[in-house]
Amino acid sequence: VVPGETALAFYKAKNPTDKPIIGISTYNVIPFEAGQYFNKIQCFCFEEQRLNPQEEVDMPVFFYIDPEFVEDPKMAKVDLITLSYTFFEAKEGQKLALPGYQ
Amino acid sequence: MSTAMNFSSKSFKPRPPDKGAFPLDHFGECSAFKERFMKCLRDSGYESGACRQRAMAYLECRMERQLMANEPLEKLGFKDLIDEKSEAKPEKL
Repeated sequence: VVPGETALAFYKAKNPTDKPIIGISTYNVIPFEAGQYFNKIQCFCFEEQRLNPQEEVDMPVFFYIDPEFVEDPKMAKVDLITLSYTFFEAKEGQKLALPGYQ
Repeated sequence: MSTAMNFSSKSFKPRPPDKGAFPLDHFGECSAFKERFMKCLRDSGYESGACRQRAMAYLECRMERQLMANEPLEKLGFKDLIDEKSEAKPEKL
């Protein structure tokens, strides 16, 4: 992936149970300091998504790495950035505390 | 939520996506486009830049099926590919 160039990545999620699950996901970027350069244009995260029993879906993320990444001396040794998602089952009436998110 | 994976003083603050969320493609309407894109990635040794044409095709598929908000492709970082397309057009008839 070249900083500044938009890129597409896919994850897959499966609901192995026989009940529909409503889930919501959040993400993590490693190394931590690279997170500020990671810009998501569109993804499946932050909103509740419903997975039917045994359903398996592709989850796309469309993103780019901020070109300022190459200017940051702290990032000079970083050539691998790992993006991970955790899917939580959404509980009724409970909203994830996401600072600044409307 | 707190991912207590790192106990450093800084905590990771997730940011929502710029253009919002993709609805799930429950019926796999764009799976074929996704497969073509993934094949390209595998063949190119996972060079994202080599597969932008197919990434663009995937996003176009989503937009056509209301699985993504319509956005001009130039604004999604595909301006150079669009310009190539329109330059190629006069030669094709």
